[in-house]
Amino acid sequence: MTPGTLLLLAAVSLVAGIACGPRFSRLWLALTLVGVSATLGAALLVLGGAANWEWRSQFNIAGEALHFRLDALSALFLVLLSVVGGTGAVYAREYWPDEDHPGTAPRGRVWWCGLLLSMGLLLVSSNGLHFLIAWELFTVCSYFLIALDRQKREARAGGWLFLVSSHAGTLCLFAFFGTLAARTGSWDLGPMREQAGLAPLFWLVLIGFGVKAGVFPLHIWLPSAHANAPSHVSAIMSGVALKMGIYGIVRFSGWLPVPAAAGWVVIGLGAISALFGIVFALAQNDLKRLLAYCSVENIGIILVGMGAALLGADHDNALWGRLALAGVLLHVWNHGAFKTLLFFGAGSVLHATDTREMSRLGGLWRRMSWTAGLFALGAIAVSGLPPLNGFVSEWLLYLGLFDAAASRNPSSWVVLPVAIMLAMAGAVALAAFSKACAVVFLGAPRTQAAEQAHECGMLMRGSMLVTAAICFFLGVAPVLFWPAISRAVAVWNPAWAAPKPPAPLINLGLAQMILVVVACASGAWLWRKARANGLQRRLTWDCGYAKPSARMQYTSGSFAGIVSGWFAWLLQPEQQMRRPRGPLPASASRVERIPETVLERVIAPVGNVIMRVSAIARRLQHGRLQAYILYVVVGLLGLGILVFLGGRL
Amino acid sequence: MIVFLNLICRIALWLLLAPLLPGIINKVKAWMAGRRGPPVFQLYYDLARLWRKSVVLSTLASPGFVVGPAVAWVALMGGALLLPLGPAGTVMGFRGDMLLLIYLLALARFCTAWAALETGSPFEGMGAAREVSYAILAEAAVISAVLSLCIQTGSTSLDTMLRPTNGTSAVLLAAGLFIVLLAENCRVPFDDPNTHLELTMIHEVMVLDHSGPPLAVILHGASIKLLLFSLLLAEAVLPVENLSPALAVVVLAAGVFVVTVGVGLVESLLARLAFRRVPLLLATAFLLCVFSMLIAWKGGTP
Repeated sequence: MTPGTLLLLAAVSLVAGIACGPRFSRLWLALTLVGVSATLGAALLVLGGAANWEWRSQFNIAGEALHFRLDALSALFLVLLSVVGGTGAVYAREYWPDEDHPGTAPRGRVWWCGLLLSMGLLLVSSNGLHFLIAWELFTVCSYFLIALDRQKREARAGGWLFLVSSHAGTLCLFAFFGTLAARTGSWDLGPMREQAGLAPLFWLVLIGFGVKAGVFPLHIWLPSAHANAPSHVSAIMSGVALKMGIYGIVRFSGWLPVPAAAGWVVIGLGAISALFGIVFALAQNDLKRLLAYCSVENIGIILVGMGAALLGADHDNALWGRLALAGVLLHVWNHGAFKTLLFFGAGSVLHATDTREMSRLGGLWRRMSWTAGLFALGAIAVSGLPPLNGFVSEWLLYLGLFDAAASRNPSSWVVLPVAIMLAMAGAVALAAFSKACAVVFLGAPRTQAAEQAHECGMLMRGSMLVTAAICFFLGVAPVLFWPAISRAVAVWNPAWAAPKPPAPLINLGLAQMILVVVACASGAWLWRKARANGLQRRLTWDCGYAKPSARMQYTSGSFAGIVSGWFAWLLQPEQQMRRPRGPLPASASRVERIPETVLERVIAPVGNVIMRVSAIARRLQHGRLQAYILYVVVGLLGLGILVFLGGRL
Repeated sequence: MIVFLNLICRIALWLLLAPLLPGIINKVKAWMAGRRGPPVFQLYYDLARLWRKSVVLSTLASPGFVVGPAVAWVALMGGALLLPLGPAGTVMGFRGDMLLLIYLLALARFCTAWAALETGSPFEGMGAAREVSYAILAEAAVISAVLSLCIQTGSTSLDTMLRPTNGTSAVLLAAGLFIVLLAENCRVPFDDPNTHLELTMIHEVMVLDHSGPPLAVILHGASIKLLLFSLLLAEAVLPVENLSPALAVVVLAAGVFVVTVGVGLVESLLARLAFRRVPLLLATAFLLCVFSMLIAWKGGTP
């Protein structure tokens, strides 16, 4: 079958999924799975070397002929969409079933198919107007999924914030596509690198898509939307929806000429997003908020590579740009895989204990060993540690940066601070995820809810296993995925085509595989040795304290204390402390809240000023007819004077 | 076949030589204090004893409590095997293996912290939090040092990038890396391996609940890490490439010995820093490495 027929099949089954979603949940699941498998097939055909698929029709929508195109770059994102879409649908069937959510589950199924369809449309459409329509549909579907649980105030507020900030970004995109169409005379999209006059449009692209991607100062909608949405929605939002922003930036920086400063700005934004995003993540006490901020970090890593690729393309097509771009595109897959896994894990914890507050959990490994193990795997991957996939893409990216430094090109000095910031971000990520794993899964249960947790069922476990397997295979056999990545790189810049994987990547894959085998073997051996020597279970050493309790364990806030102290200027933590007083203190407490610094300290005050000015302006509109007549008379008088002076003032 | 033999010899070398270093440090400290001190081979005896002992597990601990140290040891050993041994080079060198080394050390840190947090003890939580937090600054210093070497040699492979650095840059790099070595290996002035007051420690407090073979693996891993950092420092600074292989090995061994004695001297002459000063010293190490990197960037073409 050709990619075209497969995509048609996918579209038909997803539309059928929308139609039968409200009533027939089993049929809906089957149709969604058929749809995503067909999409996956089409994308893999193109990534596997089949010719690009292009289809023009005489059929008009909004006055423009339909024009679809599937090349390796779209296919790369389509693969991610279908994998996360499929596993998320399976997960949702157990996580958000009709029995528990009779009102919202049917709606959720409809919007899920709608979201998949609109994102698919976005990725293949090659007409500016249709791209905008798909983009708008995608935003609306995401909004309804985020606010699915609309009985909860936070979910409504998170959805609303998402809708508003998305539309602020869409405004830039309207300006971008409109100007592009006006300059070129057609809404058709395609490579147009030679028209140098289009370069300044890149800034509109960067802001418009940057809002959706969640680049640091534009990320304000991201934490609350991700935290309050149902977990399968958080997974697809973080794993795929953010990548649509990245897709836009990659796509249009490949098709259009870019200004000379683009690489510098993108790499700088990326480095800031990476470091600040992960610092915020470490300071969070809410598990899903932590994961959300970690997405800001990963988007930053992706943008660093993108910036390096732009710089490389600028500097006589330096080949380190290719490594960085390959790292970026691989990281798009990797982040999709491990963040989906982590959100599924967080959802499983939420399902079992009804709380996202990490300091109310603890000791879950005993009752939820599958979730604990898989979450740990995701944590190793997301911290960029060998032998899993996060390390491979970060390694490619670092290799690009180091090659740029070694080339000693006078203007590649920017990679020095960027590489250092990335390394620090990596170390903070390790701290953040050792905290998340430890506080949630290790130690003793801190509350009754944590004590009575239960493991998730087969469907949720199955979707976690699939994403974990992807993380594993991308980690130990990166060579297998290289041809696909290099085809996508060649779409961005044909001069960088490289069908053969670079030699060090083969070595790295080998080293990772050896590491997996040896680590598993030696872990098992040490466990056997310990058992053979004799195991005894005793209480944890407590310094002879008479009444240790589970609440004396290190909490999420105390674990992050050192680093949030260093970054207090950024995090601006708010503390409420009631110190113990007197010889027999009755009670004492200390509550710390990490505000959304950008939203609460920058956007909200500016918004307040605007509201206040508007309130003053509103005083003119009070409903008294006499005054309105006075306005009209004054206006007419003014116009009359203007005419009397001959239009000159 | 040759590669395989080579690998076995290297593993044996690291296995057997690593526990010597803490012995030397302790001997130096004893001499400085006018004591006789424990024998140089004390750690070997301890390890052999621990390996035969039974294990006491916390009631809260999962199998990760035992598996974590094993994975950490494998990661440290893997990092050690990536390091070239002077004229003998590496077994498996490739472009970018330097980054693998740094991230293997990070993996070891993750596993140690995980195993420490298994017990749910606030002491170990404290130690793990300190370990992962201070590592952020140490990581920044290490990556600047690596960038400095990379700029100087134009290479990203350990085999070729550990060439002698020249002049001021080498001095700065040596000072920076030495401070990082002290921090990463939990020596004075960052940590005191001898103290028994849990509240003041980083690394020792993380292993408070470990016993028997897992503790042996942790102690051996720590000694591998110490040897790894000392050898890295010696190779990054000492100009051995023009010497004959035998002489080069002797010079490198002498370099490692000097570093070890230096650690012992620092430990005898300095007190442990207050915790709020630790970030300052690490930031100093970071700045030293950054200046070395800037000198390399401004210096002559490679």
